[in-house]
Amino acid sequence: MDTLRNIPIVKKIGFNKIVLCLVMAVMYGMFANLSESFVNYNRIISALNYAYFLGFLALGVTFVIGTGGIDFSIGPVMFCCAIVSGQILAKNNLPVWFCMILAVLIGVVFGCFNGFMVAYCKVPPFIISMASMQIAKGAASVFTKTQTVKWPMATDKVNGWYRNLVKYRLVGDTPRDVTIIPTGLICLLIVAVICAIVLNKTKTGRYILCLGSNKEAVRLSGVNVKKYEMLAYVICGILVGIAAIFFVGAYTTVQPGMGDQYNNEAIAAAVMGGTSMAGGIASIGGTIIGVMIIALLQEGILAIGLTKDYQLVVTGLIVIVAVAIDIISRRKKN
Amino acid sequence: MGEVILTMKGIDKSFPGVHALNHVDLEIRKGEVHALMGENGAGKSTLMKVLTGIYSKDEGTITYEGKEVSFANPKEAQNAGVVIVHQELNMMGHLTVAQNIFAGREFMKGSFIDDQKMIAESKKLFNRMHIDIDPTEIMSNLTVGKQQMCEIAKAISHECKVIIFDEPSAALTESEIQELFKIIRDLRKQGMGIVYISHRMDEIKVITDRVTVMRDGTYVGTIITEESTKDDIINMMVGRVIYEDPKTKSNVPKNAPVVLKVEHLNAGKMVRDVSFELHKGEILGFSGLMGAGRTETARALFGADVKESGDIYINGSKVNINNPMDAVKCGIGYLSEDRKRFGIVTGKSVAENTTMATLNEYAAGPFINKKKEKKVAEEYVKRLATKTPSTEQLVVNLSGGNQQKVVIAKWLVRNCDILIFDEPTRGIDVGAKSEIYHLMNELVAEGKSIIMISSEMTEILRMSDRIVVMCEGRKTAEIDIEDATQEKIMHAATLRD
Amino acid sequence: MKNQTVKKIDMQKVIIFGILILLLIFFSFANPTFRRYTTFLSLMGYTYYIAFMAIGVTFPLLTGGVDLSIGTGLICYALTGGYLVVYKGWPVWLGLLVAVLFGVVIGLFNGFAVAVLDLPPFLATLCTCMITRGLGSICSNGTGVPWPNGNANGAWFRSLFRLKINDFTIPIGIIWVVLAVFLMTLLLNHTKVGRYILAIGSNKEAARLCGINVVAYQISAYVISGFFAGLAGIAFAASFATIQPGLGAGFELDAIGAAIIGGVSTAGGYGTVTGTILGVLVISLLKTGLPYVGLQANWQQIIIGIVLISAIMIDIIRNKRARAS
Repeated sequence: MDTLRNIPIVKKIGFNKIVLCLVMAVMYGMFANLSESFVNYNRIISALNYAYFLGFLALGVTFVIGTGGIDFSIGPVMFCCAIVSGQILAKNNLPVWFCMILAVLIGVVFGCFNGFMVAYCKVPPFIISMASMQIAKGAASVFTKTQTVKWPMATDKVNGWYRNLVKYRLVGDTPRDVTIIPTGLICLLIVAVICAIVLNKTKTGRYILCLGSNKEAVRLSGVNVKKYEMLAYVICGILVGIAAIFFVGAYTTVQPGMGDQYNNEAIAAAVMGGTSMAGGIASIGGTIIGVMIIALLQEGILAIGLTKDYQLVVTGLIVIVAVAIDIISRRKKN
Repeated sequence: MGEVILTMKGIDKSFPGVHALNHVDLEIRKGEVHALMGENGAGKSTLMKVLTGIYSKDEGTITYEGKEVSFANPKEAQNAGVVIVHQELNMMGHLTVAQNIFAGREFMKGSFIDDQKMIAESKKLFNRMHIDIDPTEIMSNLTVGKQQMCEIAKAISHECKVIIFDEPSAALTESEIQELFKIIRDLRKQGMGIVYISHRMDEIKVITDRVTVMRDGTYVGTIITEESTKDDIINMMVGRVIYEDPKTKSNVPKNAPVVLKVEHLNAGKMVRDVSFELHKGEILGFSGLMGAGRTETARALFGADVKESGDIYINGSKVNINNPMDAVKCGIGYLSEDRKRFGIVTGKSVAENTTMATLNEYAAGPFINKKKEKKVAEEYVKRLATKTPSTEQLVVNLSGGNQQKVVIAKWLVRNCDILIFDEPTRGIDVGAKSEIYHLMNELVAEGKSIIMISSEMTEILRMSDRIVVMCEGRKTAEIDIEDATQEKIMHAATLRD
Repeated sequence: MKNQTVKKIDMQKVIIFGILILLLIFFSFANPTFRRYTTFLSLMGYTYYIAFMAIGVTFPLLTGGVDLSIGTGLICYALTGGYLVVYKGWPVWLGLLVAVLFGVVIGLFNGFAVAVLDLPPFLATLCTCMITRGLGSICSNGTGVPWPNGNANGAWFRSLFRLKINDFTIPIGIIWVVLAVFLMTLLLNHTKVGRYILAIGSNKEAARLCGINVVAYQISAYVISGFFAGLAGIAFAASFATIQPGLGAGFELDAIGAAIIGGVSTAGGYGTVTGTILGVLVISLLKTGLPYVGLQANWQQIIIGIVLISAIMIDIIRNKRARAS
């Protein structure tokens, strides 16, 4: 086992990530065996639809967890972004690009608020995100008077174009011959690469991880830790806003008062991918793999005729097992 | 000294990759204070952990009161009468003194805890020790010294026969140490076997009867304190005599310019109207007892804590320092006394720690230039002779002395002209210590200026060009090295209002 | 300086008590219908289940941990118990017992994950939050569960909380809450379990070195939390007509928020059950009262969020002052 770990290529990619990829492959094989309908392009597209918004959420929360904090409000905030900007779009006949920017801006506002409270007012992240979760849910409901909000369909001639971000319909020779290209995957991967660069190659990322490891030591090095800690939440806010666009791009409608479960799944994806809840260690690649596992699980469980409830149970168990293995192996090393 | 109460023979213990104890012997008699000495990493703490059942031994025998024993956990050892007073205080800050003393073995009245009896018993213990502590006080409200007394009271309450003190004086003031010694002498009179682990040579001479020395996990020998000198013990510890003489003359020219001037600095209770000057190329020693306010002065100067008032001048011009960022911009670097908490980022690499304060210089726009970063890190690893396999190594895996060098490198890369070294050699073994002294001398020779806070008198006398002595938050003396004696410094350090 | 921590908690309690009275006065004057007895009954309906959850979660919080699984948990337990009663014909008492036992089992699982496997409490209970959410629907076959009501066989269990004599309803659930507060205060302050839970929250390593079985007592904190989540499930079932799967997410935040408002330290080590219950009253009063002053149900969430931030800010500012002086 240890010799396997020490092969340079394995070391470079990370042993955990390779194991996770294997887990994913095994899962895919298992579902393919259990359900014939699973091996199907539409299934993959549907799984990816789930992976997009969850992926952006998980990327965002990876930065926050990297500082040793937590953002428990991302799911409801994502809904709040989608609802408020969607409502404005529907009511005022505004161009869709404007509302997409608005969605991201709302995410940034929440990010700034959370970040400011955590970094400058020293409120425990857990508590502030609990509060802003309530506020996001309440604000969205108040804004729409608890009505469901619908974003434009793909058929909408003026505003439907934004859906091409999520999936592009390539029309062939006949109108029925439509190939769907998962453009969302490209978007997600591009953003993931940007996130990886920010996290690993820039000052911001360096300081975010360092302050997650030992905040006081970084502060005494003359670094503006408050700024960088807040920045992590703001980055998270941006990504939550983007997640909102991809959510409506895939599912069209949003209902106020929901979104709690997506926090858990996004945090689960990040942690599964090797980001440490104690802060200081974070992996963008791992987070993306974690997201893919959850999306695959979701789709596979539906394909074999079970409800989403099973996906929640299995995801919960996987995270517990993954983290427990990580902790126990580290304990052995010491 | 009475009969033998405890014998450890041929104790062997290995951890993966480390042979921590190599057939170590130790013998404790009733009514003796037995010092256990050795550099950091010599295996003293490991030996005591084997004795009290925190670690299990690989080989060897422990004979206690004539029977061979092997304690499975600290509780078993406690029940048998072998108790350890830990170096880090093990207290539960939110609970009361009495609750702490009897934690784990509360008096019960049916299924309920009998707090009244616990308070009464605690009072009895304190009376026996002739100290005055209120058992109903919340633990975290006590001073460190008082907390330590509670730990001792707890040990005594076990009706113990062997009591181990692991560096008990590290956090105590001089008067508290005296009180501690009184208690230890008392315990000795009652026929207890006492193991006393300490680095402070003068304490060893005062309080102990015999000394056992360990080096690199092996047993070196046991000697009787009265019949040996300091140098004998140091010789045994390091295998060579390294005791060096104090500095006799300042190396700073009389007309050296003032680089830092602090006037009427006030911050909380611990910094009251402190003023001093630091000259170019000078090592200014800050002496005083624990709790004199030296670290607090340094932190207030560096902007790490809020200051109430006071002016700071650098090279003659007044500067505003409100946070560490300002201080670093002014060219001040601060080496904290608590390396693990305030110095290094343990989970990060040597290179990352080295450029922590200067990342701007190793970045193009927002992007970090890792090649350049690696180069500078390697340069300083070489210059400071830091022992690390590579600059990619996580600092958590380095020894204390090498970690300290990484922190020093951080400030040297920043090219700070004024360096505050707060207890620079605490928890560092003798070899690395002299390397750090050497480095400090090199730095001042280059024209940098150093404020050195130290609780070791020998360190102060050996390194400083001038000495500021503090007591209870005030500056009580400023002594040129030519006039400095231990007595003078001690006198100033205890000069209260 | 003396007994600072103790004083601090007491001060917080006094402030919260004052806020409670002010809220009551405000709501009563703002809308006369608020003064009706039925309002009081509905207030109590909200209080019971939040109170049980909050009392329970106080213990993991005191160890320095947290339990996020209580919200989805209580729904899961109530669904499972109810499903067995309504669709499988089990006697009600057995259904109630199942609900509580299920809670204890999940508590054990949380305790095991935290204390034995050493998982961060936040993460472990986040996972069980997901798991119980899924399990609730799975155990009840995905349907809503109406516990027996009205004259149905087994509806007696509802009178454990609201006793109807002729047309007059007595909220006797208060008795159980008061009893729970009393017993848990006793447990916290005068038994080994409570003392050791506080000791672990204050300094786990020190507690371990005192020979305290840290693992066992940490587990017991989560078991207490699970047990009370089970009781909360029963209280919820008794107060509301039907239980829908998928409910419960976010309930835990009401409970944890109540404990924090009541002065329980999120870092562990200090807090009181009576403080927690005062926090619960603040939250349930807001939940019932705000609609009476014309604020939509949605505003509750915003206002509760703000109250929570204010409570923690007051605490932080006061700590700062205490340190400065």
